[in-house]
Parts: sequence; C-alpha cells; structure tokens
Amino acid sequence: MRAWYRLLFPKTHLDRRKRAGFLFVLPAILFFGAVFIVPLVQSVLYSFYRIQPGGAKEFVGLGRYEKVLTDSTFWTAVWNTVQLLFFSVPVTVICALAVALGLNHISNLKWRNVWASMYFLPFATSLVAAALIWQWIYEPVYGFLNYALSYVGIPPQKWLQSLVQVKPAIAAVSVWVRIGFDTMIFLAALQAIPQEYYEAAGIDGANAFQRLRYITLPMLNAQIVMVCILELIFNFKIFDQVYATTQGGPAGASQTIIMLLYDTAFKFFRFGDASVMAVFVFVTLMAVTLLQWRFFRKPIEY
Amino acid sequence: MKRRAALTLAVFAAAVVAFAMPGAAIAQQKKLVMWTHWDQNPDFNKWYAEKGKEFAKKSGYEVEVVTVPYQGYEAKYLAALMAKSGAPDIFMGMTHQWCGQYDFCEKMPDDLAKIYEQNLPKYMADIGKWKGVRYGIPIEHGNFQQMYINVDMFKKAGLNPDSPPMKFTGDWLADMKKLTIPDPKGGDPSQVGFAIRSKGAPVGITDKFLPFAHAWGARMLSPDLTKAAGYANSPEMIAALTFFGDLVNKDKVASLSFGNPEDAFGQKRAAVIFRESWFFGWLKKNAPDVNFKVYALPCEKTCPGAGALFPWTDLVYKNSPNKAVAWEFMRFISNAKDDMDHHQLQGILPVWNANLETDYVKQRPDYQSTKAMLAQPVPPTYFHPKSNELATAFGEAVVGVMFGKGQPKPLLDEAAAKMDRILKD
Repeated sequence: MRAWYRLLFPKTHLDRRKRAGFLFVLPAILFFGAVFIVPLVQSVLYSFYRIQPGGAKEFVGLGRYEKVLTDSTFWTAVWNTVQLLFFSVPVTVICALAVALGLNHISNLKWRNVWASMYFLPFATSLVAAALIWQWIYEPVYGFLNYALSYVGIPPQKWLQSLVQVKPAIAAVSVWVRIGFDTMIFLAALQAIPQEYYEAAGIDGANAFQRLRYITLPMLNAQIVMVCILELIFNFKIFDQVYATTQGGPAGASQTIIMLLYDTAFKFFRFGDASVMAVFVFVTLMAVTLLQWRFFRKPIEY
Repeated sequence: MKRRAALTLAVFAAAVVAFAMPGAAIAQQKKLVMWTHWDQNPDFNKWYAEKGKEFAKKSGYEVEVVTVPYQGYEAKYLAALMAKSGAPDIFMGMTHQWCGQYDFCEKMPDDLAKIYEQNLPKYMADIGKWKGVRYGIPIEHGNFQQMYINVDMFKKAGLNPDSPPMKFTGDWLADMKKLTIPDPKGGDPSQVGFAIRSKGAPVGITDKFLPFAHAWGARMLSPDLTKAAGYANSPEMIAALTFFGDLVNKDKVASLSFGNPEDAFGQKRAAVIFRESWFFGWLKKNAPDVNFKVYALPCEKTCPGAGALFPWTDLVYKNSPNKAVAWEFMRFISNAKDDMDHHQLQGILPVWNANLETDYVKQRPDYQSTKAMLAQPVPPTYFHPKSNELATAFGEAVVGVMFGKGQPKPLLDEAAAKMDRILKD
C-alpha cells in the first residue's frame, strides 16, 4: 500500500524513477489487460453459464463442461487438431533448423540475406491469401500440383477433398508459412555460438555430425524449446488456413478445435459452450508449455 | 518545450476525436446501410443502391449496399447486430433465425405488411413471418430447387432433352449413368451426370439433399419441429441417403473432385444440377454458351415439392436509428414495377403476383417447371430458430455418407440424437 502511495506521490529521485518506469509499462499492462486478461476471465465465467441468444444468462455450474466434454464432435475436433500438430510441428522445426544451418554456412552476407528473405516471405503473407493460393494448387482437376505430378506419372490426387490427405495438405501450408520465422530465430542463435567451440572440437578431431550433436544442438536448446512451444501454440490455434480452404471439411476431417469454437460461438450463438472450448484450449496449451519448459529446457554452459 | 509538446499532442488527439466522431454520425444520418450475402447476384444487390439515389431525392438518404461474403456471413452479422455500432439498417437473412432466435428485427409497419399479404404468391405467405407477424420481404420467387439439364450433353448421350427423367430410382438414375463418362483407368470421371454439392458448410449440403429426402417421403424434423429422432433417421431417410451416397460411391454418376457444382455445370462437366431460380441469371451471365432447359424435380415415393431451407428476406434492424427511414425505403421499392426491374436485372423470378405472368417470366425456361413444382405436394418446412445448427448436425451425416465415413443408419442415428440435444438445449 505504501509502495503504491510512493509511486503516486514520489518523494525521492528513486521514487520518481520508479514512477517513470511504471508509466512506461502502464500502456502495455492496460493493453494486455483489456485484450487478454479481461476476455480470459470473461470466458472462464461464461463457461459456467447457459447464455440465451438475447443475452440472458443462467448459471448452470459445470453443465456446459459436461455437455461439451461428452460431445463426440468436440473430441473429433481435438483429435484433428492433434493430428495436424503431429504433421506440422516436427517438420517445421526440423526443416527450419536445416535451412538455418545451411544459411549459416553461406559466407556471402548478401546472398545469405537474399535466401533468408525468400524463406521469410511466406511468413509475411496474409494467411488467408496464402491459403487461397494453396487451395488452387491443391485443386484436384485444374490444380498445379496434380498437373506437376502428372509429368512423373502420378495420378491426380484429391488433396483437400480427401479424408486422408486433407490434414497433411493443410499441415504443408502451415510448414510453408512458418518455416521462415523459425529459420530466423535459429539463424540468429547459430550466429551467436562462439567459433572457438568449433575450432576446439576440430582440434579434438570431431567430425561434422559430432559438432552438430555436441555443440550446435545443445547451444540451440533454448531456441528449439521456444520454437517448439511457439509452433505448438500456432498449430493448436490453427484457423485461417482451414477456414479459407476447407471450412473443416471434407466431412469434418479438418475441423479443428478453434473452427468448432468459432462455429459454436458465432454461427450457433452458444457462448457458454464456446467458452468451455476456449478454457480447454488455454489450459491444454498452458500445461503443455509448462511441461515442455520444465523438461526440455536445459541450460548449457561450456 | 514540454508544454509545447503536450499542447501539440492535445491538438492531435482532439483532431482525431473530431475526425472520428462526427464523421460517423453524419454518415449514419445520411445513408441507409444494407448488408447482403447474396454474393452470386451482384446486379441484384447493386440495384438497391441505384434505387437509393432516387430515394435520396425524396428523403435525403442514400443506400449503401455492403456485400458480405457468404462464407462466414453469420458471424459478421451477429457481431454487428449484437454490438449495435456498425450494424446495418437493412439486412438480408432468414426471419426465423434473426427475428426468432435473436430478436434483431423490426416488425413491418401494418400498411406495408398488408401490401405484401395482398401481393405475394400464396405459397410464400409465411416467408418473412415469425409467429404470424411479418418482419421480412421475401426476395425470390422460385426459391426452391429445380432440375437444370444441359441439352447438348443429353443429346450427345442419346437422351431426349424434351423428355426429362421423372423417377429418381428409374429413368433419372439410368440417364445419369448414360451422361457420365468414366475414367478408363478407374479414376474420377471426366464428365458426370449429376453435379453434387460436397464442399462447404454441412448446412448447405443438407439443403441440396433435402429434395431427395422429401421425395422418399422423409422429413428432417417432426411436423411441430420438436423432435428429430424417428424423423431424421427414419427408414425413408435412410433409403434416401443411401441412394444419395450411392450416386458418388456405387453408381459413380457424381464426383467429389468436381468442386463447386455450379461451376461444374457451367463448364459442361456435369449434365444436371438442382438449383433455384437465380441460377438461370447466373448461367446467362457466367456460362452463356450452355444450352439448358429447366424441369421440375423428379419424384420417388412422392414429389419433393417447392421447399426451401433458406427462405431469404430483407429485414430491418430493430436497433437502427434509421429504422423508420429504412421502412420508407422498403415502401418506396414495394411495387410491381420495381419488383420486376429488380429481379429481371439479375435473371431471378420476381416475387409479386402481378409479375408472375409477364412476358419476362413466361419466356424463361423455368416458367412451366416452376408451375409444376408448385403443383407438387407442399414439402415440410423447417423454420425453426435453430435451423442452421440443426441442419448442420444433419448435414454432417449426409456428407459423412458421401465421403464414405460410415453407413447411413448409424450416421443418421447419431445426427438425430445430436439434433434432439440441440432442440432440448
């Protein structure tokens, strides 16, 4: 209480500096509070209510949780989301790491930047625009991909209209979009690894694989964990690509949890049910992130 | 220096506020904003704005038409209508949804309602009403599916385009097989008999399947719209869905690879499509070289009849500050001449009784078929406030069968149970 008072009515130079610091972070706190904390609290509260289309609310305790968590459509959407995660997260991280290692070996700064920009470009593209372009690429009859495959004798595939191929096809779009961003993070981290470590390993007779295994990867541990968490969050919340390409189809095969949440809230006006889904997403992501952080992040010191 | 910076900041902030606030107010005062999601009919939508210019001379209000993409229009409408700010004064929608489920609609003034009671075709009397009260103006006569056939493809297949198939499991299926050109390697056919809807939201797929269901004597919900079990999964519904799924999986007269069925028909890759009256205008504009005829839908146990899952109407927003002017505009365009001009512009059937026997209507290829459809038994209607959600649950079963996810019975049983939960909740 006294600290707050001194913050409002500073007496010393140090108090004034504290107040200045507080005022600098205040806009960010207000923004974060209004945009994230308030909706989060509201979602948690709404998940205990049955909300009428007119806005009237009726407290139903855990009733909405029971309804949503016993609905097969919800679990199908969760499973679809998890499958998409498995298709895209490892591929994105491994490809980004490989690209970053390759770029790191380009000694000409100009060419390195040109290549890096090319990889980064999809990330700067609107997700919806990218999804629409890919929709055309995947089109079974007139699409570019089937046209290209026909030259190597592969018959036309259904891609986004196939129950089996739709998820890998959407995951490929995610990989294409995200690879540049992850590459940039890895590249920055690679350039921060002191060359002396590699020189010392070279003197000790370490080969390229051993240098990668015992120097590069451990030194990138923090970045790898961070990128994995970011990819996990991005892919768990996947919406734009699915919405623009398949709308959850065919036959619900690509309906992700956020797609279902969106339909539940804004098509069917079931804010209570949608809030339960939002809470589920938040809790799941928080738990997985903490677990990843706890078990995979290892401080490395040489 | 500090004071000067603060003063500059204050002036800038005041300018931003002054620019934002009164601008919005003036815009609200001088124009009516109309939202529509009939994005396939741009000329029809534009007409409101053109007519608004005439209306402005009388009232000072112009009409701005905003075409919201069909995909996801509900969310945009709902967000705006709930928030009240940035909401339209007039919007296109289904009365039972926006007035029944949400209470967003302004009741139509009695004198105008009376005009519509007197001038709408009898079968449309309930379209635009919720609990007996008129809110909306129906925008399309012939808002039910009919059978469009490609004459040249029929002739090429040795079929007589003047003698359309009459029974689904009889001559219709046989004709569809003759019209399909299979891939000799066992892949997708290069041409199909029937352009089937397989993409997009399940609610749209339900809409395209319902004529089959109704022809088999099935219905999606009980007559009082309170129960789905026993109706959505009745033996008749299972038979209809089995036939529908077989079109893709067994008979292979329809393909899931063809994408949008309208495009497939327009590109002469499909010989038959079931669509509403607006499709005539769409074809004329987008595929003028397609030689087509329109017939009433085939029958099975009974005939499917003139039914619509999406009875579109123009509605006035209850919380609009301009609702009185909005109704004035509606009154301004509520006459037989404007009805004719408006619909003819896009190639849609006009709504007013006075226009149903005009040369324009008589010369259309769907003149006889529309009459034939209206002569068929009246099909079930599903004007329930939660019709979208119910039809989505049902559509998941339909699309599941088409994509071979399961057999009709278990999928329909699951859908019926889900629909009952929606009805009870």
